[in-house]
Amino acid sequence: MSETQPAFKLIRAARVIDGTGSPALERGAVLLEGDRIRAVGSEESIAAPEGAPVEEFNYENKTVIPGLVDCHVHLIGMGDGRAGDELTTLPDEVLTLQAARNARTHLFSGVTTVRDCGAKNQTTFRLRQAMEMGITPGPRMVLAGRPVAIVGGHLSYFGVQATGPDECRAAVRQLIKEGADYIKITATGGSTRTSFALRPSFTVEELKAICDEVHKFGKHAAAHCASSQGMSNVLEAGIDTIIHAVHREPDGTSKFRPEIAERIARQGVFVNATLGGGRNRVVTLEKKMQAEGLSEQEQEELDQMRRAHQQRLDDFAKMRELGVQMAAGSDSAWGKYKMGGFQHETDSHVAGGMTPMEAIVAATADSARSCWVQDSVGTLEAGKQADLVVVDGDPSQDIGALWDVADVFLAGDRVDRGNFV
Amino acid sequence: MPENAQHYKLLTGARLIDGAGGPLIDNGAVLVHGSRIAAVGPASTVSAPDGASVERFDFPGKTIMPGMVDCHTHHNGFGDGRSGDDLSTLPDEVLTLQSARNARASLFSGVTSIRENGPKNFTMFRLRDAVNQGIAVGPRMVLCGRPVAIIGGHMGYFGSVATGPVEARATTRQLIKEGADYIKITATGGSTRTSFPLRPSFEVDELKAITEEAHKFGKLTAAHCVSTQGTVNSLEAGVDMIIHCVFKEADGSDVFRPEVAERIGRQGAYVNPTLHVGRSRIWVMQHKKEREGLTPEEQQHLDAGLRNLETRMEDCRRMQEMGLRVITGSDSSWGDYQLGNTVYEAELLVASGYSAMKGVLSVTGEAAKALGIDDVTGTLEPGKEADIIVVDGNPADDINALWNVNEVFLAGRRVDRGSPESVEANRQMPPRG
Repeated sequence: MSETQPAFKLIRAARVIDGTGSPALERGAVLLEGDRIRAVGSEESIAAPEGAPVEEFNYENKTVIPGLVDCHVHLIGMGDGRAGDELTTLPDEVLTLQAARNARTHLFSGVTTVRDCGAKNQTTFRLRQAMEMGITPGPRMVLAGRPVAIVGGHLSYFGVQATGPDECRAAVRQLIKEGADYIKITATGGSTRTSFALRPSFTVEELKAICDEVHKFGKHAAAHCASSQGMSNVLEAGIDTIIHAVHREPDGTSKFRPEIAERIARQGVFVNATLGGGRNRVVTLEKKMQAEGLSEQEQEELDQMRRAHQQRLDDFAKMRELGVQMAAGSDSAWGKYKMGGFQHETDSHVAGGMTPMEAIVAATADSARSCWVQDSVGTLEAGKQADLVVVDGDPSQDIGALWDVADVFLAGDRVDRGNFV
Repeated sequence: MPENAQHYKLLTGARLIDGAGGPLIDNGAVLVHGSRIAAVGPASTVSAPDGASVERFDFPGKTIMPGMVDCHTHHNGFGDGRSGDDLSTLPDEVLTLQSARNARASLFSGVTSIRENGPKNFTMFRLRDAVNQGIAVGPRMVLCGRPVAIIGGHMGYFGSVATGPVEARATTRQLIKEGADYIKITATGGSTRTSFPLRPSFEVDELKAITEEAHKFGKLTAAHCVSTQGTVNSLEAGVDMIIHCVFKEADGSDVFRPEVAERIGRQGAYVNPTLHVGRSRIWVMQHKKEREGLTPEEQQHLDAGLRNLETRMEDCRRMQEMGLRVITGSDSSWGDYQLGNTVYEAELLVASGYSAMKGVLSVTGEAAKALGIDDVTGTLEPGKEADIIVVDGNPADDINALWNVNEVFLAGRRVDRGSPESVEANRQMPPRG
């Protein structure tokens, strides 16, 4: 098949947004050669080399943007509300099949790169192996394999727990040997039943061992922090991304800590605020309210979710004011957040004060930078991998346009999005 | 989406083959209620109850028939020529993903039931769990879990080897405990490197132990036999289906043994000849010949393959003429034969001697009987599950019409098969010459 396809594809659209934050280019074009972007510019300035066979795509009234980069997914998740403690009881083969389903769904929804933030055993490595064999389609994957947790800590049921700096180093080496692209740490407890969400997990010494070891191999580390002390600890250890970044005290009170935010900004650490899950739940309940009304319990949940989501949006805005760089990551399919809805995260970024263009950058170029894959993806620039999404309308005016995906290109190939399971 | 209990689907406008051996109906209709068939017959006689909500599907000029039943699949396989020995070195998760891909491809091609003939470890049980949970799509599955083999025997690498009647019984119990619907036995060696295809594997008392134990729990057995003594042993043990049924002596010579064939008929065992898996190898060689030519050694290999196919088809013809219950089981994705191409096997049963209609029955109603699922599927009869396909043309005239599947319904639901290109992409094409 591939040998008979023209090496060049010329994509013209009403506008091109390159993901760098530059203004949208009206009547733009992108020229692809094989799996790479050859040129980006105005429609008149872009053409295939003379005489070369070229396949043309014309998208009237549509916008071409870089393939979306979701820096936080859980491919094995069901998104049906089941706890991680339950999820982990499923056999690895079933979890791998679910991961394949999610990978396909996310790709079809416009996400061409994901960073998986924790899966059981070798499931995501096996999925990647199968993708490389052409068995199943999916986005590019930046994998942690299993998260590193303390005994009983958040996500420890996925298979890696370590105590003390030596075991921490050994855990990092083991994961990297298996194929990990970065290391995920759970620096506080979370939803895991035996963990303490309001308390830090690892000691700073342990965190330092993990960060040192992973940096030694040229890879990065990202830490789950559902309360403030966890953030302080991982900043001390030299973390690269803080996930959730929930400003909460050990007694459960929400308290924004500007000195932590300033330090995040000073150290150039990315924050992945994971706002989309809350928004997804609010939107779902609001739709249900309009369609059929809510039970008393659901109304209570909606009120509580609205307050919690607003709190997170306020903290998001405050962090940005202090110079924190944000990377968009959905955290789906965790909790009740199914994959294929990364756009809830970009919508939330706008609700939290970003312009639509800033939200696009956070979901493409900056998310790619936070995953350390900015050399190959995240923007439409000559030489980068040809990962593109075509959406109806103009997302730089209305971020909601990102929901209306018309086409997806991955490594220069138009994705056949014909079949969802 | 839970189906409305009062919701009916009415399929009309086409000729109809019931898969049970009934006459072709020129203007037939099928009424589906929930997951089941409520009524079948001439269009004038089939209608939904007054006032019921009915979704109508009109298929002018097409044929409505039961979904295909493939009695012999290997869902772990790739059909890219790799050996089973190599296949079994892949991790279970990867094999499960490949199985899911194959399940999808075969369902989309019109196969609504399969009997899996040997995967590794728990992979097919896991896939079925995932399909039941809505994680993956696939046809109904009749599973063996793993084949039962002797030490070093064919497919022993998939995880179940046994020695002696006691271990053979224990293995049977273990597989049934895990969810096996039938027991697959490799009664001779095969392509497995450490096995001997021309020799039987198990002793008759071992085969008897397996078969008795399976029958005790109401499960069927099927035995891989690529040489004649394995068939004789399996018949002695009361096996329900002879797979491959190759008439070969221990010295490798081809000798059709009418008394063995007669005994198969007398005992009512089914025969699954698996003819196309050999032809698929031939096609690979012929493709290569067209593309780049063959070495003298490869040409010899090709000639031997062609001779072998001729012998197998001739033996198949004899068994068909003797009235044996010869059914379609593709053996894909073993060797070079990929799932999604079951029709090639049915086509060869017709080329060997079956009428086109008998070919259709061999891949529908008769196949379902062979698997013991004829109370559920395989024919268009009231009360059966609504596993239905719609094809262009008339497969009772030309079996190749089975390639032109327009729609697939599984348990009363229309299957979303995605883009036509993606369905077509699974078809393996013969060489041009």
